[in-house]
Amino acid sequence: MGATVKAELLKLFTTRLWWGMAIAVFLSGAAFALLFGLLFTSESVADQAGGPGGIPSGNPVQIANSVYTGGLSVGYLLMLTIGVMQIGMEYRHKTISSTFLAVPHRAKAMLGKVVALLVVAAGYGVLSLVGSVSVGALVLNVRGADAFPSNEIVRTLALSLLVLGLWALIGLGLGILIPNQIAALLIGVATAWIVEPLLGLAIKAFDFGREHIAPFMPTEATNAIVNAVVASPDDVRLSWWAAALTLAGWATLLAGSGIWRTVRQDVS
Amino acid sequence: MTTGTPTGTRVGTRVGTRVGARVEVTGLTKRFGSFVAVDDLSFTVEPGRVTGFLGPNGAGKTTTLRMLLGLIHPTSGTATIDGVDYPSLGDPLGTVGAALEATNFHPGRSGRDHLRVLAATHGIPDTRVDELLTLTGIPAFARRRAGAYSMGMRQRLALAAALLGDPRVLILDEPANGLDPEGIRWLRGFLRHLSAEQGKTILVSSHLLQEVEQTVDDVVIIANGVLVRQGTMAELHGTSGALVRTSDPERLAAALREHDLTATPGEDGAVLAETTDLRAVGEIAHAAGLPVWELTAKAADLEELFLELTAGGNRNLGDGSMRGQDGAA
Repeated sequence: MGATVKAELLKLFTTRLWWGMAIAVFLSGAAFALLFGLLFTSESVADQAGGPGGIPSGNPVQIANSVYTGGLSVGYLLMLTIGVMQIGMEYRHKTISSTFLAVPHRAKAMLGKVVALLVVAAGYGVLSLVGSVSVGALVLNVRGADAFPSNEIVRTLALSLLVLGLWALIGLGLGILIPNQIAALLIGVATAWIVEPLLGLAIKAFDFGREHIAPFMPTEATNAIVNAVVASPDDVRLSWWAAALTLAGWATLLAGSGIWRTVRQDVS
Repeated sequence: MTTGTPTGTRVGTRVGTRVGARVEVTGLTKRFGSFVAVDDLSFTVEPGRVTGFLGPNGAGKTTTLRMLLGLIHPTSGTATIDGVDYPSLGDPLGTVGAALEATNFHPGRSGRDHLRVLAATHGIPDTRVDELLTLTGIPAFARRRAGAYSMGMRQRLALAAALLGDPRVLILDEPANGLDPEGIRWLRGFLRHLSAEQGKTILVSSHLLQEVEQTVDDVVIIANGVLVRQGTMAELHGTSGALVRTSDPERLAAALREHDLTATPGEDGAVLAETTDLRAVGEIAHAAGLPVWELTAKAADLEELFLELTAGGNRNLGDGSMRGQDGAA
Protein backbone atom coordinates (compact mmCIF):
# COMPACT_ATOMS: atom_id res chain seq x y z
CA MET A 1 0.00 0.00 0.00
CA GLY A 2 2.81 2.39 0.90
CA ALA A 3 4.46 1.72 -2.45
CA THR A 4 1.19 2.44 -4.27
CA VAL A 5 0.80 5.75 -2.42
CA LYS A 6 4.41 6.64 -3.17
CA ALA A 7 3.86 5.98 -6.89
CA GLU A 8 0.75 8.17 -6.86
CA LEU A 9 2.63 11.00 -5.16
CA LEU A 10 5.44 10.61 -7.67
CA LYS A 11 2.90 10.92 -10.47
CA LEU A 12 1.89 14.34 -9.21
CA PHE A 13 5.38 15.60 -8.53
CA THR A 14 6.80 14.53 -11.90
CA THR A 15 4.60 16.89 -13.91
CA ARG A 16 4.52 20.66 -13.77
CA LEU A 17 1.03 20.85 -12.32
CA TRP A 18 2.11 20.73 -8.69
CA TRP A 19 4.21 23.86 -8.41
CA GLY A 20 1.78 25.97 -10.42
CA MET A 21 -0.86 24.76 -8.01
CA ALA A 22 1.39 25.53 -5.04
CA ILE A 23 1.81 29.14 -6.14
CA ALA A 24 -1.93 29.52 -6.73
CA VAL A 25 -2.80 28.03 -3.35
CA PHE A 26 -0.33 30.23 -1.47
CA LEU A 27 -1.30 33.42 -3.28
CA SER A 28 -5.04 32.86 -2.94
CA GLY A 29 -4.61 32.22 0.78
CA ALA A 30 -2.64 35.44 1.22
CA ALA A 31 -4.82 37.54 -1.08
CA PHE A 32 -8.14 36.54 0.48
CA ALA A 33 -6.73 37.06 3.97
CA LEU A 34 -5.77 40.59 2.96
CA LEU A 35 -9.14 41.26 1.33
CA PHE A 36 -11.29 39.80 4.12
CA GLY A 37 -9.04 41.27 6.77
CA LEU A 38 -9.66 44.75 5.41
CA LEU A 39 -13.35 44.13 4.66
CA PHE A 40 -14.45 42.65 7.98
CA THR A 41 -12.64 45.22 10.08
CA SER A 42 -14.03 48.19 8.18
CA GLU A 43 -16.23 50.65 10.12
CA SER A 44 -19.48 49.77 8.43
CA VAL A 45 -19.23 46.12 9.35
CA ALA A 46 -18.19 46.79 12.89
CA ASP A 47 -21.22 49.05 13.39
CA GLN A 48 -23.73 46.53 12.20
CA ALA A 49 -23.74 43.80 14.77
CA GLY A 50 -26.57 41.81 13.20
CA GLY A 51 -25.35 42.46 9.72
CA PRO A 52 -28.70 42.87 8.00
CA GLY A 53 -27.62 44.90 4.99
CA GLY A 54 -26.39 41.78 3.22
CA ILE A 55 -22.90 42.38 4.49
CA PRO A 56 -21.51 39.30 6.20
CA SER A 57 -21.06 39.68 9.92
CA GLY A 58 -19.84 37.77 12.92
CA ASN A 59 -18.07 37.81 16.24
CA PRO A 60 -14.28 38.22 16.48
CA VAL A 61 -13.78 34.47 16.27
CA GLN A 62 -15.82 34.20 13.10
CA ILE A 63 -14.04 37.18 11.62
CA ALA A 64 -10.62 35.69 12.34
CA ASN A 65 -11.80 32.33 10.97
CA SER A 66 -13.03 33.98 7.81
CA VAL A 67 -9.84 35.91 7.29
CA TYR A 68 -7.63 32.86 7.71
CA THR A 69 -9.79 30.58 5.62
CA GLY A 70 -10.82 33.16 3.05
CA GLY A 71 -8.63 31.48 0.46
CA LEU A 72 -10.41 28.23 1.11
CA SER A 73 -13.16 28.97 -1.39
CA VAL A 74 -10.51 29.11 -4.09
CA GLY A 75 -8.34 26.50 -2.40
CA TYR A 76 -10.97 23.79 -2.32
CA LEU A 77 -11.69 24.31 -5.99
CA LEU A 78 -7.97 23.93 -6.69
CA MET A 79 -8.04 20.68 -4.71
CA LEU A 80 -11.12 19.64 -6.69
CA THR A 81 -9.01 20.28 -9.78
CA ILE A 82 -6.12 18.19 -8.44
CA GLY A 83 -8.53 15.37 -7.66
CA VAL A 84 -10.11 15.48 -11.11
CA MET A 85 -6.71 15.58 -12.80
CA GLN A 86 -5.16 12.80 -10.73
CA ILE A 87 -7.53 10.41 -12.48
CA GLY A 88 -8.55 12.46 -15.55
CA MET A 89 -4.96 12.64 -16.78
CA GLU A 90 -4.75 8.87 -16.59
CA TYR A 91 -7.81 8.47 -18.80
CA ARG A 92 -6.74 11.22 -21.17
CA HIS A 93 -3.22 9.89 -21.73
CA LYS A 94 -4.26 6.26 -21.23
CA THR A 95 -1.70 5.76 -18.48
CA ILE A 96 -4.49 4.08 -16.52
CA SER A 97 -3.53 0.85 -18.31
CA SER A 98 0.01 0.84 -16.93
CA THR A 99 -1.32 1.92 -13.52
CA PHE A 100 -3.57 -1.15 -13.37
CA LEU A 101 -0.88 -3.39 -14.83
CA ALA A 102 1.43 -2.41 -11.98
CA VAL A 103 -1.35 -2.62 -9.38
CA PRO A 104 -3.93 -5.04 -10.80
CA HIS A 105 -5.94 -4.94 -7.60
CA ARG A 106 -7.83 -1.86 -8.74
CA ALA A 107 -9.43 -0.96 -5.44
CA LYS A 108 -5.94 -0.88 -3.96
CA ALA A 109 -4.68 1.31 -6.81
CA MET A 110 -7.55 3.73 -6.25
CA LEU A 111 -7.09 3.69 -2.49
CA GLY A 112 -3.50 4.71 -3.20
CA LYS A 113 -4.88 7.72 -5.05
CA VAL A 114 -7.20 8.55 -2.15
CA VAL A 115 -4.39 8.52 0.42
CA ALA A 116 -2.05 10.43 -1.89
CA LEU A 117 -4.70 13.10 -2.47
CA LEU A 118 -5.31 13.50 1.27
CA VAL A 119 -1.57 13.91 1.85
CA VAL A 120 -1.19 16.36 -1.02
CA ALA A 121 -4.24 18.38 0.04
CA ALA A 122 -2.89 18.62 3.59
CA GLY A 123 0.42 19.85 2.20
CA TYR A 124 -1.25 22.48 0.04
CA GLY A 125 -3.45 23.37 3.00
CA VAL A 126 -0.42 24.12 5.15
CA LEU A 127 0.99 26.24 2.34
CA SER A 128 -2.30 28.12 2.04
CA LEU A 129 -2.41 28.72 5.81
CA VAL A 130 1.15 30.01 5.85
CA GLY A 131 0.01 32.61 3.35
CA SER A 132 -3.32 33.44 4.96
CA VAL A 133 -2.31 33.44 8.62
CA SER A 134 0.81 35.55 8.11
CA VAL A 135 -0.98 38.14 6.01
CA GLY A 136 -4.28 37.88 7.91
CA ALA A 137 -2.79 38.24 11.38
CA LEU A 138 -0.82 41.24 10.20
CA VAL A 139 -3.91 42.94 8.78
CA LEU A 140 -6.02 42.20 11.85
CA ASN A 141 -3.33 43.56 14.14
CA VAL A 142 -2.89 46.67 12.10
CA ARG A 143 -6.66 47.26 12.08
CA GLY A 144 -6.82 46.77 15.84
CA ALA A 145 -8.81 43.52 15.74
CA ASP A 146 -7.94 40.44 17.74
CA ALA A 147 -5.79 38.16 15.58
CA PHE A 148 -6.19 35.10 17.82
CA PRO A 149 -9.37 35.60 19.85
CA SER A 150 -9.82 31.95 20.76
CA ASN A 151 -8.31 28.48 20.58
CA GLU A 152 -11.12 27.68 18.21
CA ILE A 153 -8.96 29.28 15.54
CA VAL A 154 -6.50 26.40 15.80
CA ARG A 155 -9.34 23.94 15.30
CA THR A 156 -10.53 25.89 12.28
CA LEU A 157 -7.08 25.84 10.74
CA ALA A 158 -6.77 22.10 11.25
CA LEU A 159 -10.22 21.49 9.87
CA SER A 160 -9.48 23.55 6.79
CA LEU A 161 -6.86 20.92 5.90
CA LEU A 162 -9.56 18.28 6.18
CA VAL A 163 -11.86 20.37 3.98
CA LEU A 164 -9.21 20.52 1.26
CA GLY A 165 -8.63 16.78 1.42
CA LEU A 166 -12.32 16.00 1.19
CA TRP A 167 -12.76 18.30 -1.81
CA ALA A 168 -9.84 16.57 -3.53
CA LEU A 169 -11.73 13.28 -3.06
CA ILE A 170 -14.90 14.85 -4.42
CA GLY A 171 -12.77 15.80 -7.44
CA LEU A 172 -11.46 12.25 -7.75
CA GLY A 173 -15.03 10.95 -7.82
CA LEU A 174 -16.10 13.56 -10.38
CA GLY A 175 -13.04 12.79 -12.50
CA ILE A 176 -14.05 9.13 -12.71
CA LEU A 177 -17.77 9.64 -13.17
CA ILE A 178 -17.17 12.27 -15.88
CA PRO A 179 -14.28 10.77 -17.90
CA ASN A 180 -13.68 13.93 -19.92
CA GLN A 181 -11.58 15.89 -17.47
CA ILE A 182 -12.35 19.31 -18.94
CA ALA A 183 -16.06 18.59 -18.60
CA ALA A 184 -15.49 17.23 -15.09
CA LEU A 185 -13.63 20.40 -14.08
CA LEU A 186 -16.23 22.74 -15.56
CA ILE A 187 -19.12 20.83 -14.03
CA GLY A 188 -17.36 20.59 -10.66
CA VAL A 189 -16.48 24.28 -10.46
CA ALA A 190 -19.81 25.42 -11.89
CA THR A 191 -21.68 23.28 -9.40
CA ALA A 192 -19.71 24.51 -6.42
CA TRP A 193 -19.69 28.18 -7.36
CA ILE A 194 -22.86 28.78 -9.36
CA VAL A 195 -25.38 25.96 -9.26
CA GLU A 196 -25.19 25.25 -5.56
CA PRO A 197 -25.57 28.89 -4.41
CA LEU A 198 -28.51 29.40 -6.79
CA LEU A 199 -30.06 26.15 -5.73
CA GLY A 200 -29.41 27.19 -2.14
CA LEU A 201 -31.33 30.42 -2.68
CA ALA A 202 -34.26 28.50 -4.12
CA ILE A 203 -34.22 25.92 -1.35
CA LYS A 204 -33.95 28.55 1.35
CA ALA A 205 -37.18 30.11 0.15
CA PHE A 206 -38.92 27.30 1.98
CA ASP A 207 -38.50 26.78 5.72
CA PHE A 208 -38.08 23.06 5.34
CA GLY A 209 -35.38 23.48 2.71
CA ARG A 210 -33.62 26.17 4.68
CA GLU A 211 -33.51 24.05 7.80
CA HIS A 212 -33.12 20.51 6.51
CA ILE A 213 -31.57 20.61 3.03
CA ALA A 214 -29.42 23.70 2.55
CA PRO A 215 -27.06 23.05 5.50
CA PHE A 216 -26.15 19.68 4.05
CA MET A 217 -24.99 20.98 0.69
CA PRO A 218 -21.21 20.72 0.17
CA THR A 219 -20.40 24.41 0.09
CA GLU A 220 -22.66 25.25 3.04
CA ALA A 221 -21.13 22.41 5.01
CA THR A 222 -17.66 23.65 4.11
CA ASN A 223 -18.47 27.11 5.51
CA ALA A 224 -19.92 25.55 8.63
CA ILE A 225 -16.81 23.46 9.27
CA VAL A 226 -14.55 26.48 9.39
CA ASN A 227 -17.26 28.57 11.11
CA ALA A 228 -16.85 31.54 8.83
CA VAL A 229 -18.99 34.65 9.00
CA VAL A 230 -22.65 34.16 8.15
CA ALA A 231 -24.06 35.53 4.92
CA SER A 232 -27.56 35.86 6.32
CA PRO A 233 -28.70 35.67 9.95
CA ASP A 234 -31.60 33.41 8.96
CA ASP A 235 -29.29 30.64 7.77
CA VAL A 236 -29.32 27.39 9.66
CA ARG A 237 -25.84 26.08 10.14
CA LEU A 238 -24.58 22.71 11.25
CA SER A 239 -22.11 22.44 14.10
CA TRP A 240 -18.55 21.96 12.88
CA TRP A 241 -18.42 18.22 13.46
CA ALA A 242 -21.78 17.55 11.83
CA ALA A 243 -20.67 19.65 8.88
CA ALA A 244 -17.38 17.73 8.68
CA LEU A 245 -19.31 14.46 8.66
CA THR A 246 -21.61 15.85 5.98
CA LEU A 247 -18.72 16.84 3.71
CA ALA A 248 -17.02 13.51 4.37
CA GLY A 249 -20.29 11.91 3.32
CA TRP A 250 -20.23 13.78 0.03
CA ALA A 251 -16.59 12.81 -0.56
CA THR A 252 -17.33 9.17 0.27
CA LEU A 253 -20.37 9.14 -1.99
CA LEU A 254 -18.57 10.60 -5.00
CA ALA A 255 -15.15 8.97 -4.62
CA GLY A 256 -16.76 5.70 -3.54
CA SER A 257 -19.10 5.43 -6.51
CA GLY A 258 -16.25 6.46 -8.79
CA ILE A 259 -13.96 3.78 -7.41
CA TRP A 260 -16.74 1.21 -7.57
CA ARG A 261 -17.15 2.04 -11.24
CA THR A 262 -13.41 1.95 -11.93
CA VAL A 263 -13.07 -1.50 -10.41
CA ARG A 264 -15.81 -2.88 -12.63
CA GLN A 265 -15.33 -1.23 -15.99
CA ASP A 266 -13.12 -2.42 -18.84
CA VAL A 267 -9.94 -0.49 -19.54
CA SER A 268 -9.42 -0.30 -23.27
CA MET B 1 19.05 7.37 -32.06
CA THR B 2 21.54 5.08 -30.48
CA THR B 3 20.86 1.42 -30.70
CA GLY B 4 22.52 -0.66 -28.08
CA THR B 5 23.18 -4.26 -28.93
CA PRO B 6 21.95 -6.57 -26.22
CA THR B 7 25.27 -7.85 -25.05
CA GLY B 8 25.29 -10.88 -22.85
CA THR B 9 26.80 -9.16 -19.87
CA ARG B 10 24.44 -6.22 -19.74
CA VAL B 11 21.29 -8.18 -20.37
CA GLY B 12 22.48 -11.04 -18.24
CA THR B 13 22.88 -8.93 -15.14
CA ARG B 14 19.25 -8.38 -14.29
CA VAL B 15 17.20 -9.20 -17.34
CA GLY B 16 16.43 -12.87 -17.37
CA THR B 17 17.27 -14.44 -14.12
CA ARG B 18 13.99 -16.32 -14.10
CA VAL B 19 12.63 -18.62 -16.77
CA GLY B 20 9.32 -18.11 -18.42
CA ALA B 21 5.83 -19.11 -17.42
CA ARG B 22 3.18 -20.84 -19.46
CA VAL B 23 0.33 -18.69 -20.69
CA GLU B 24 -2.95 -20.50 -21.13
CA VAL B 25 -6.07 -19.07 -22.72
CA THR B 26 -9.17 -21.23 -22.42
CA GLY B 27 -12.55 -20.57 -23.99
CA LEU B 28 -12.01 -16.83 -23.78
CA THR B 29 -15.01 -14.85 -24.98
CA LYS B 30 -15.79 -11.14 -24.94
CA ARG B 31 -19.03 -9.58 -26.07
CA PHE B 32 -19.52 -5.84 -26.38
CA GLY B 33 -23.31 -5.64 -26.54
CA SER B 34 -24.32 -7.87 -29.41
CA PHE B 35 -20.87 -7.75 -30.96
CA VAL B 36 -18.59 -10.71 -30.26
CA ALA B 37 -15.03 -9.40 -30.22
CA VAL B 38 -13.40 -12.64 -29.10
CA ASP B 39 -15.22 -15.93 -29.49
CA ASP B 40 -14.33 -19.04 -27.47
CA LEU B 41 -10.60 -18.57 -28.01
CA SER B 42 -8.16 -21.17 -26.67
CA PHE B 43 -4.41 -21.33 -27.12
CA THR B 44 -1.20 -21.74 -25.15
CA VAL B 45 2.07 -19.85 -25.16
CA GLU B 46 5.14 -21.84 -24.16
CA PRO B 47 8.22 -20.64 -22.24
CA GLY B 48 11.50 -20.27 -24.09
CA ARG B 49 9.76 -19.47 -27.34
CA VAL B 50 8.62 -16.39 -29.19
CA THR B 51 4.99 -16.71 -30.13
CA GLY B 52 3.47 -14.49 -32.78
CA PHE B 53 -0.13 -13.51 -32.11
CA LEU B 54 -1.35 -12.69 -35.58
CA GLY B 55 -4.48 -11.46 -37.22
CA PRO B 56 -5.75 -8.53 -39.25
CA ASN B 57 -6.59 -5.26 -37.53
CA GLY B 58 -9.73 -5.69 -35.49
CA ALA B 59 -9.38 -9.47 -35.23
CA GLY B 60 -9.55 -9.18 -31.45
CA LYS B 61 -5.84 -9.35 -30.64
CA THR B 62 -5.68 -6.35 -28.35
CA THR B 63 -8.94 -7.29 -26.64
CA THR B 64 -7.50 -10.76 -25.99
CA LEU B 65 -4.25 -9.35 -24.59
CA ARG B 66 -6.16 -6.91 -22.39
CA MET B 67 -8.26 -9.78 -21.04
CA LEU B 68 -5.08 -11.74 -20.35
CA LEU B 69 -3.79 -8.72 -18.41
CA GLY B 70 -6.98 -8.22 -16.40
CA LEU B 71 -7.78 -4.88 -18.02
CA ILE B 72 -10.90 -6.15 -19.77
CA HIS B 73 -13.25 -8.49 -17.96
CA PRO B 74 -14.00 -11.56 -20.11
CA THR B 75 -17.62 -12.46 -20.76
CA SER B 76 -16.56 -16.05 -20.20
CA GLY B 77 -13.44 -18.21 -20.22
CA THR B 78 -10.10 -17.79 -18.51
CA ALA B 79 -6.61 -16.54 -19.25
CA THR B 80 -3.86 -17.56 -16.85
CA ILE B 81 -0.11 -17.24 -16.33
CA ASP B 82 1.22 -20.43 -14.78
CA GLY B 83 -2.32 -21.17 -13.73
CA VAL B 84 -2.94 -17.80 -12.05
CA ASP B 85 -5.05 -15.00 -13.51
CA TYR B 86 -3.28 -11.65 -13.79
CA PRO B 87 -5.17 -9.75 -11.05
CA SER B 88 -4.23 -12.51 -8.58
CA LEU B 89 -0.50 -12.36 -9.29
CA GLY B 90 1.58 -11.57 -6.24
CA ASP B 91 4.32 -9.80 -8.16
CA PRO B 92 2.67 -8.54 -11.36
CA LEU B 93 5.59 -6.64 -12.90
CA GLY B 94 7.96 -9.44 -11.96
CA THR B 95 5.76 -12.01 -13.66
CA VAL B 96 4.42 -10.29 -16.75
CA GLY B 97 5.83 -7.28 -18.59
CA ALA B 98 3.46 -5.76 -21.09
CA ALA B 99 3.83 -3.03 -23.67
CA LEU B 100 0.33 -2.44 -24.96
CA GLU B 101 0.45 0.85 -26.78
CA ALA B 102 3.45 3.03 -27.29
CA THR B 103 1.38 6.20 -26.98
CA ASN B 104 0.38 5.81 -23.37
CA PHE B 105 2.62 8.35 -21.71
CA HIS B 106 1.84 11.62 -20.02
CA PRO B 107 3.38 14.14 -22.45
CA GLY B 108 4.56 16.35 -19.59
CA ARG B 109 6.40 13.61 -17.75
CA SER B 110 9.87 12.50 -18.76
CA GLY B 111 10.46 8.95 -19.92
CA ARG B 112 12.64 8.30 -16.92
CA ASP B 113 9.99 9.58 -14.54
CA HIS B 114 7.38 7.41 -16.24
CA LEU B 115 9.52 4.39 -15.41
CA ARG B 116 10.17 5.68 -11.89
CA VAL B 117 6.43 5.91 -11.21
CA LEU B 118 5.95 2.30 -12.28
CA ALA B 119 9.08 1.21 -10.41
CA ALA B 120 7.78 2.82 -7.21
CA THR B 121 4.78 0.47 -7.13
CA HIS B 122 7.14 -2.50 -6.76
CA GLY B 123 9.96 -0.86 -4.85
CA ILE B 124 12.26 -1.18 -7.86
CA PRO B 125 15.30 1.12 -7.48
CA ASP B 126 16.14 3.99 -9.84
CA THR B 127 19.36 2.22 -10.81
CA ARG B 128 17.24 -0.45 -12.50
CA VAL B 129 15.37 2.32 -14.36
CA ASP B 130 18.63 3.77 -15.68
CA GLU B 131 19.88 0.31 -16.57
CA LEU B 132 16.85 -0.27 -18.79
CA LEU B 133 17.05 3.16 -20.38
CA THR B 134 20.58 2.28 -21.45
CA LEU B 135 19.56 -1.19 -22.57
CA THR B 136 16.75 0.08 -24.78
CA GLY B 137 18.95 2.81 -26.14
CA ILE B 138 17.19 5.98 -24.97
CA PRO B 139 19.31 7.36 -22.11
CA ALA B 140 19.94 10.58 -24.00
CA PHE B 141 16.22 11.35 -24.15
CA ALA B 142 15.27 9.94 -20.78
CA ARG B 143 15.01 13.26 -18.96
CA ARG B 144 13.12 15.01 -21.70
CA ARG B 145 9.34 15.30 -21.62
CA ALA B 146 7.77 12.30 -23.35
CA GLY B 147 5.56 14.55 -25.46
CA ALA B 148 8.57 15.25 -27.67
CA TYR B 149 9.40 11.58 -28.26
CA SER B 150 9.31 9.99 -31.69
CA MET B 151 7.28 6.84 -32.22
CA GLY B 152 10.45 4.76 -32.18
CA MET B 153 11.48 6.22 -28.81
CA ARG B 154 8.02 5.57 -27.41
CA GLN B 155 8.29 1.94 -28.45
CA ARG B 156 11.64 1.65 -26.72
CA LEU B 157 10.29 3.35 -23.60
CA ALA B 158 7.29 1.01 -23.60
CA LEU B 159 9.67 -1.94 -23.88
CA ALA B 160 11.78 -0.59 -21.02
CA ALA B 161 8.62 -0.29 -18.91
CA ALA B 162 7.70 -3.88 -19.72
CA LEU B 163 11.13 -5.14 -18.67
CA LEU B 164 11.24 -3.16 -15.42
CA GLY B 165 10.41 -6.05 -13.10
CA ASP B 166 12.53 -8.63 -14.98
CA PRO B 167 9.32 -10.46 -15.95
CA ARG B 168 9.04 -14.12 -16.85
CA VAL B 169 6.51 -13.36 -19.56
CA LEU B 170 6.79 -10.52 -22.05
CA ILE B 171 3.68 -9.39 -23.90
CA LEU B 172 4.19 -6.87 -26.68
CA ASP B 173 1.36 -5.44 -28.74
CA GLU B 174 2.57 -4.45 -32.21
CA PRO B 175 6.06 -3.57 -30.95
CA ALA B 176 7.50 -2.98 -34.40
CA ASN B 177 5.10 -0.15 -35.21
CA GLY B 178 7.06 3.03 -35.78
CA LEU B 179 10.46 1.42 -35.36
CA ASP B 180 13.05 2.11 -38.01
CA PRO B 181 14.60 -0.90 -39.79
CA GLU B 182 17.59 -0.79 -37.48
CA GLY B 183 15.28 -0.74 -34.48
CA ILE B 184 13.29 -3.69 -35.82
CA ARG B 185 16.50 -5.67 -36.27
CA TRP B 186 17.58 -4.77 -32.76
CA LEU B 187 14.20 -5.81 -31.35
CA ARG B 188 14.34 -9.09 -33.23
CA GLY B 189 17.75 -9.95 -31.81
CA PHE B 190 16.70 -8.88 -28.36
CA LEU B 191 13.54 -11.00 -28.30
CA ARG B 192 15.47 -14.01 -29.60
CA HIS B 193 18.01 -13.48 -26.87
CA LEU B 194 15.36 -13.27 -24.13
CA SER B 195 13.52 -16.39 -25.29
CA ALA B 196 16.26 -18.71 -26.50
CA GLU B 197 19.00 -17.90 -23.99
CA GLN B 198 16.93 -16.93 -20.99
CA GLY B 199 13.87 -19.08 -21.46
CA LYS B 200 11.37 -16.29 -21.17
CA THR B 201 7.88 -16.56 -22.59
CA ILE B 202 7.33 -13.98 -25.30
CA LEU B 203 4.05 -13.14 -26.97
CA VAL B 204 4.20 -10.61 -29.78
CA SER B 205 1.14 -9.43 -31.63
CA SER B 206 1.18 -8.16 -35.18
CA HIS B 207 -1.15 -7.69 -38.08
CA LEU B 208 1.70 -8.37 -40.50
CA LEU B 209 3.10 -11.87 -40.76
CA GLN B 210 6.30 -10.88 -42.53
CA GLU B 211 7.04 -8.43 -39.74
CA VAL B 212 7.48 -11.25 -37.23
CA GLU B 213 8.22 -14.10 -39.62
CA GLN B 214 11.92 -14.14 -38.79
CA THR B 215 11.42 -13.69 -35.06
CA VAL B 216 8.74 -16.11 -33.95
CA ASP B 217 8.90 -19.83 -33.25
CA ASP B 218 5.17 -20.36 -32.86
CA VAL B 219 2.14 -18.68 -34.29
CA VAL B 220 -1.39 -18.18 -33.06
CA ILE B 221 -3.52 -16.78 -35.85
CA ILE B 222 -6.95 -15.35 -35.19
CA ALA B 223 -9.54 -13.73 -37.41
CA ASN B 224 -12.86 -12.23 -36.40
CA GLY B 225 -12.17 -13.21 -32.82
CA VAL B 226 -11.84 -16.90 -33.65
CA LEU B 227 -8.72 -19.07 -33.61
CA VAL B 228 -7.70 -19.93 -37.15
CA ARG B 229 -4.49 -21.80 -36.56
CA GLN B 230 -1.98 -22.52 -33.86
CA GLY B 231 1.32 -24.23 -34.47
CA THR B 232 5.01 -23.81 -34.99
CA MET B 233 6.38 -21.59 -37.69
CA ALA B 234 7.90 -24.75 -39.21
CA GLU B 235 4.44 -26.30 -39.50
CA LEU B 236 3.18 -23.19 -41.21
CA HIS B 237 6.10 -23.47 -43.60
CA GLY B 238 5.31 -27.18 -43.90
CA THR B 239 3.22 -26.71 -46.96
CA SER B 240 6.32 -25.71 -48.91
CA GLY B 241 7.85 -28.35 -51.19
CA ALA B 242 9.46 -29.21 -54.45
CA LEU B 243 7.81 -29.00 -57.83
CA VAL B 244 9.16 -31.48 -60.35
CA ARG B 245 7.99 -31.94 -63.95
CA THR B 246 8.57 -35.21 -65.74
CA SER B 247 7.22 -37.50 -68.47
CA ASP B 248 5.35 -39.86 -66.13
CA PRO B 249 4.14 -38.07 -62.99
CA GLU B 250 2.32 -41.12 -61.60
CA ARG B 251 5.42 -43.25 -61.67
CA LEU B 252 7.62 -40.50 -60.18
CA ALA B 253 5.11 -39.89 -57.39
CA ALA B 254 5.18 -43.61 -56.60
CA ALA B 255 8.98 -43.58 -56.58
CA LEU B 256 9.05 -40.62 -54.24
CA ARG B 257 6.58 -42.29 -51.89
CA GLU B 258 8.88 -45.30 -51.74
CA HIS B 259 11.41 -42.92 -50.22
CA ASP B 260 8.90 -41.83 -47.59
CA LEU B 261 8.12 -38.54 -49.25
CA THR B 262 4.59 -37.28 -49.62
CA ALA B 263 4.09 -36.70 -53.32
CA THR B 264 1.05 -35.78 -55.34
CA PRO B 265 0.90 -35.95 -59.11
CA GLY B 266 -0.56 -32.83 -60.64
CA GLU B 267 -1.37 -31.61 -64.11
CA ASP B 268 1.03 -30.90 -66.96
CA GLY B 269 3.39 -33.64 -65.84
CA ALA B 270 3.98 -32.00 -62.50
CA VAL B 271 4.53 -33.70 -59.18
CA LEU B 272 4.42 -31.86 -55.89
CA ALA B 273 6.72 -33.36 -53.28
CA GLU B 274 6.64 -32.21 -49.68
CA THR B 275 10.32 -31.75 -49.17
CA THR B 276 12.84 -28.99 -49.55
CA ASP B 277 15.59 -31.43 -50.54
CA LEU B 278 15.72 -30.85 -54.31
CA ARG B 279 18.81 -33.00 -54.70
CA ALA B 280 17.03 -36.06 -53.28
CA VAL B 281 14.08 -35.53 -55.62
CA GLY B 282 16.43 -35.31 -58.61
CA GLU B 283 18.30 -38.45 -57.59
CA ILE B 284 15.11 -40.43 -57.05
CA ALA B 285 13.90 -39.38 -60.52
CA HIS B 286 17.24 -40.34 -62.01
CA ALA B 287 17.19 -43.72 -60.26
CA ALA B 288 13.69 -44.31 -61.60
CA GLY B 289 14.97 -43.50 -65.06
CA LEU B 290 12.64 -40.54 -65.48
CA PRO B 291 13.70 -37.33 -67.22
CA VAL B 292 13.49 -34.20 -65.12
CA TRP B 293 12.12 -31.28 -67.10
CA GLU B 294 11.85 -28.87 -64.22
CA LEU B 295 12.81 -28.97 -60.58
CA THR B 296 12.06 -25.95 -58.39
CA ALA B 297 11.62 -25.25 -54.73
CA LYS B 298 8.06 -24.15 -54.13
CA ALA B 299 8.08 -22.01 -51.05
CA ALA B 300 4.78 -21.55 -49.34
CA ASP B 301 3.81 -17.94 -49.73
CA LEU B 302 3.26 -17.22 -46.07
CA GLU B 303 1.67 -13.87 -46.69
CA GLU B 304 -0.78 -15.44 -49.11
CA LEU B 305 -1.44 -18.22 -46.64
CA PHE B 306 -1.99 -15.68 -43.92
CA LEU B 307 -4.45 -13.74 -46.05
CA GLU B 308 -6.17 -16.97 -46.97
CA LEU B 309 -6.44 -18.06 -43.35
CA THR B 310 -7.72 -14.75 -42.11
CA ALA B 311 -9.99 -14.00 -45.07
CA GLY B 312 -13.68 -14.66 -45.14
CA GLY B 313 -15.19 -11.24 -44.70
CA ASN B 314 -12.97 -9.05 -42.63
CA ARG B 315 -15.51 -7.51 -40.34
CA ASN B 316 -13.40 -4.38 -40.22
CA LEU B 317 -14.08 -3.64 -43.83
CA GLY B 318 -17.69 -4.75 -43.70
CA ASP B 319 -19.00 -2.39 -41.10
CA GLY B 320 -16.63 0.41 -40.24
CA SER B 321 -19.11 2.24 -38.06
CA MET B 322 -19.22 -0.49 -35.51
CA ARG B 323 -15.70 -1.77 -35.66
CA GLY B 324 -13.96 1.56 -35.42
CA GLN B 325 -13.71 1.48 -31.67
CA ASP B 326 -13.32 -2.20 -31.07
CA GLY B 327 -10.47 -2.33 -33.50
CA ALA B 328 -8.55 -0.09 -31.19
CA ALA B 329 -9.84 -1.85 -28.13
